[in-house]
Amino acid sequence: MPCLPLCYMPKRRRFWLWSGLLGGAASLLLVVAGVPFVHQHQLGAFVAIVVLATAAELLLVRYPLRPEYPDRGVWLSVSTPVVVATILAYGWQFGVWLDAIVSLVAGLFTMHLKSTRARWVFVNTAQSILSAAAAGLVALLFHSVPTSVLSMQGIGALVAGLAAYMLVNTLLVSITIAIAESARLSWVLGQTLLCIPRDVLLMVPISTLIAVVLAVEGAFGLLGVLVPYLALRQAFVIWAHQQALYHQTIRSLGFLVQRAHPYTGGHLQRVARWARRVAERLGLPPERCELIYEAALLHDLGKTVLDERILNKPTRLTPEEWEQIKKHPQLGAEILSDTPFLSPIAPWIALHHERPDGKGYPFGLQGEQIPLEARLIAVVDAFDAMIGGEAPNQHRLHRRPLSVEEALKELERGAGTQFDPQVVQVFKQIVREWQQQEPLAGK
Amino acid sequence: MQGIGWAILTALGALLALAYYAFVVVPARLHRLHCDGLRAFARLIELRSGGRYGRVEPFLEWSKALASRLNLSLRERRQLELAIYLRDIGMVAIPYQTLHKRERLTEAERILLARHAEIGAAIVEQIPGLRQVAPIVRLHHVVYAEQPEAPLSAHLLSALEDCLPLIVAGELETALKTLQQGAGTRYHPLVVQAILSEVRAQGLSGRRDLARSAALWL
Repeated sequence: MPCLPLCYMPKRRRFWLWSGLLGGAASLLLVVAGVPFVHQHQLGAFVAIVVLATAAELLLVRYPLRPEYPDRGVWLSVSTPVVVATILAYGWQFGVWLDAIVSLVAGLFTMHLKSTRARWVFVNTAQSILSAAAAGLVALLFHSVPTSVLSMQGIGALVAGLAAYMLVNTLLVSITIAIAESARLSWVLGQTLLCIPRDVLLMVPISTLIAVVLAVEGAFGLLGVLVPYLALRQAFVIWAHQQALYHQTIRSLGFLVQRAHPYTGGHLQRVARWARRVAERLGLPPERCELIYEAALLHDLGKTVLDERILNKPTRLTPEEWEQIKKHPQLGAEILSDTPFLSPIAPWIALHHERPDGKGYPFGLQGEQIPLEARLIAVVDAFDAMIGGEAPNQHRLHRRPLSVEEALKELERGAGTQFDPQVVQVFKQIVREWQQQEPLAGK
Repeated sequence: MQGIGWAILTALGALLALAYYAFVVVPARLHRLHCDGLRAFARLIELRSGGRYGRVEPFLEWSKALASRLNLSLRERRQLELAIYLRDIGMVAIPYQTLHKRERLTEAERILLARHAEIGAAIVEQIPGLRQVAPIVRLHHVVYAEQPEAPLSAHLLSALEDCLPLIVAGELETALKTLQQGAGTRYHPLVVQAILSEVRAQGLSGRRDLARSAALWL
């Protein structure tokens, strides 16, 4: 039987193959490490470390990656400084076993409390073991471990160990997310890799403190680490909160549009999702794809400012009423222009009704004068409006919804004049793939 | 032993700096980010009502000065600032024609318009990070005699809603008269006192500036 490349396999099989690879490698490492011998006088320290690290692992912080999935994202753990300090103080075998026990125990707790599935506990434990082994290996390159951190080499080994742990863990977690969420690995890595330097910088002081306390005071000194640990966790919580808050504002604005004009709800979300897929397919950077998603979600925000009697009018609009409607892109941009973190998307919203032939509004710009993002939103918005997605429950008397095939033909007919031909081409491919995945789509 | 001491001190110093950053700097930045996001909501209402509602600048300026006169805590001041941005958000559900009506509103329209506070609070309650602001939004037109136990921030907004448009329009005397007549019945007496003190202080500094500029010319 020919071996299929990983990307062509069904999602479920891909996930199980990846889990198997992780599990196999982690088991092999545990066998190589062997069960570390714990002296009687070290037993108290070992138990204290396990308790502290398990508590750290249980107090996870969720970092949302996508606005439409507030309950999903990367879970940040702050048990890493404890594990790396243990590797330096007692050797890499000790650290690997500590991380295995802690991840498993905390995972089982989480499974019980937050209904996490067993396969995630398994994958997370395997990832932790591999990351701890990588940290131990890199620390060994700097200094023989166990070692004292009270030397330049010791500090170097600690920083290198932390960086190695974070790098390997981020890589493994990113691959797992990409497989489980069917997201592009480059996009996930773009979201997660940039955080590594900041996280390592945060963890160095606490990891140093734990390593020193373990060397000087033993297990009981670890109680003194509790306060700084809580500060570190608070920093993580606030960062995660900041990210969630930004996403929340976007969602709330979208929700507001939906509340004022109920029919636009599904339309906005569909357009946003399609727009991001087209942007990804066009090879735009991940952060720009996210901005395009947000711009598409808010592209009709200006309509909330208009008279709802015009927006809801079932009959043909008068020229004066059309003039009012034509104001909505600029009004939407004006709403967002005073908000610094949303201002980059304001021009795309202002220009999403411009046409390459210059017959669009509000300015009548042509071709490349219109930003790619605005041209992209224009195509996706027009497609969803044509198939009746904009007003599914109140079809205007003068406009019947088209089928998917008819709408695609309309886009092709308008390519080069009304729509950007490159965007139309890419969007057509995406719609065809969607039809293949969901045979009933658009019928 | 000396080396160990230095290592512990350095690590503790770094952690103290981290704690300061986590507990002081980041929450302040977070609040600013929150306000920046909410500015869009206020702008939306301002545009929808043709500038009649949703204005924030004079409210922010006055509330800052009055909050310190009323000894509001940092938490209350931040909530007040968020409420200023959100207070008229319920106007999004009020019909366009009512918001733009030039003639006198009918009784039914007045009742509908007054519902914006309740609708706004209902919207704000649905945004998890803003739930604590909902009571101020709901009561930002509160009458002191009816609900004296309402948050002081709500009483402050209620008084500002009535007097700021007059002050901005240059009718300071009318604004002060309205406040003084309503103290203890329509408005919270502490709030009225704070506004009067602030007006007096601003008037004094205004005269001082005038004297300074006159001295420069001479």
